[in-house]
Amino acid sequence: MMSKLGVFDVSVRYGKVPALTDVTLHLEEGERVFISGPNGAGKSSLLGAISGAVATTHGRIEMDGHLLTGRAPEAIARLGLSMVPEGREIFGSLTVSENLRVGTGLRRDRGAVEGDIEEIFEAFPILGERRHASAGALSGGQQQMLAIGRALMTNPKLMMVDEPSLGLAPKIVDQVYDTLVQLQEERGLTLLIVEQSSTRAARVGGRMILLRGGSVVGDGDAAAFAEKDLLSEAYFGQSKAQPKKEAAQ
Amino acid sequence: MTSLAQLFFDAASLGGIYAMAALGIALIFGVMNLVNFAHGEYIAFCVFALIVPSTEAVAVMFLGKAPAFLLIPVLLGLGAGAAVASEYVVFRHMRKATPVAMMISSFALGFVIQNALLAVYGGRPKAISLWPDLNTPVGVLGAQVPLLQLIVVLTTLLVVCALALLLKKTRLGLEMRAAAENFTMARLLGVRANVVITGAFALSGALAAAVALIMATQTGVADVRMGGQIMLVAFIATVIGGLGSLPGAVAAGFLIGGASVLLQAFLPLEVRPFRDAFLYTLVIACLLLRPQGLFAASSAKPRI
Repeated sequence: MMSKLGVFDVSVRYGKVPALTDVTLHLEEGERVFISGPNGAGKSSLLGAISGAVATTHGRIEMDGHLLTGRAPEAIARLGLSMVPEGREIFGSLTVSENLRVGTGLRRDRGAVEGDIEEIFEAFPILGERRHASAGALSGGQQQMLAIGRALMTNPKLMMVDEPSLGLAPKIVDQVYDTLVQLQEERGLTLLIVEQSSTRAARVGGRMILLRGGSVVGDGDAAAFAEKDLLSEAYFGQSKAQPKKEAAQ
Repeated sequence: MTSLAQLFFDAASLGGIYAMAALGIALIFGVMNLVNFAHGEYIAFCVFALIVPSTEAVAVMFLGKAPAFLLIPVLLGLGAGAAVASEYVVFRHMRKATPVAMMISSFALGFVIQNALLAVYGGRPKAISLWPDLNTPVGVLGAQVPLLQLIVVLTTLLVVCALALLLKKTRLGLEMRAAAENFTMARLLGVRANVVITGAFALSGALAAAVALIMATQTGVADVRMGGQIMLVAFIATVIGGLGSLPGAVAAGFLIGGASVLLQAFLPLEVRPFRDAFLYTLVIACLLLRPQGLFAASSAKPRI
């Protein structure tokens, strides 16, 4: 069977520095997959390569049988891929509701846009209250909600979320994940999430792919990762002298 | 003697021209971090499009003969077309180039346009008369003001409001503002880079044509070097306004126009020929105090 997303032998390098080396992975329709690994493992480069924002030097990427490699980011977005980037990348000078509208230009069902915006405001009431406020004035958690809402407004089939927990209080992170899971169940989305914490991933549930030094070093149930030492090995190599407590954070 | 009202209209009309030229530059800088030094040549190109191509000293009106209701849209279209064509031929191939490389290629493009004009029309400035009736003075608030000055001030206000509405209320405007702030993110949301950039060039070119119409009427001269002077002032206005900031470009355009007229009026006679030296001293002071410009733009980061 053809998988939802197929990454085959993909390499990315920035100048002479390799960021990803021959990465192969597959996502099935409706699956929830976490990408984890230490800083510099190539997590964001992988998302960048899939979304078209970062050029690949080798390999190919397919979604629903369409070749993504070599396509412009806007063309990939049109095929049904949406992105909640690291650091959220909200348009701070635009209002909350304008942020939600930016991604609706690719939709053919323009008539449904207004209704969908109201739905986002129902899911995130705080965004509805501040719909005419400048998005730059929102708190970090609210901006994360807005980034998710903005990505949903393109009506994606596959959504990628880069470090949704970055810079947010644990309570807010719980909310963000509750929302993501709920949205996935409602819409049948396929989710690819970068998440540093295996315990967090295990709690949410799903498959986990572990990257290290630009290569896949592990692939399995997130809960299994949380129990095993695999993650700390990925972080600190074979040296057991390093403290392990940070890995779980 | 020059009255206060007279000074005001002088300042407002000169500032209006600078503001529109600066807007044309700021629009393109906003979406692709390109300081388009060919912008002044778009203006010169539009002025020369008014007359019949020949190297004769006497200009014969060509497009300039058309009635205003026809001439204005045609020339705006021509300006937009020239700008879009230059994007297609030159800048589209430089999307991944550094801002410096793009800027240098815009210089090159400017020279190409200027020399093409030189080859076709000759180097001597030509007298042209477009809408001469507009230079007849009318009495406003006790001052004798050429009708054209009033029209320039009104046109500038109209253009600024129309542009603000377009940016605020249309799909293209929304995409342009999003792209100006974060181009990559906008593209990840399906915003087509080509549409936004072509749109910015078209608007910029139409603004150049509007400036060309005003300059041709006001000065009555077509000169292949006319683009350089206005480009210099407009570029300074975009820098003082904060590169990429549209309100900043408009405000700084008016500021420079106003300062220029005030210096002209109040400098002692013997130093008046050096007015521009004083003007640019003010510019330097302005940049020393606020290097990021009067209005810091949110878009002053790399494109990709």
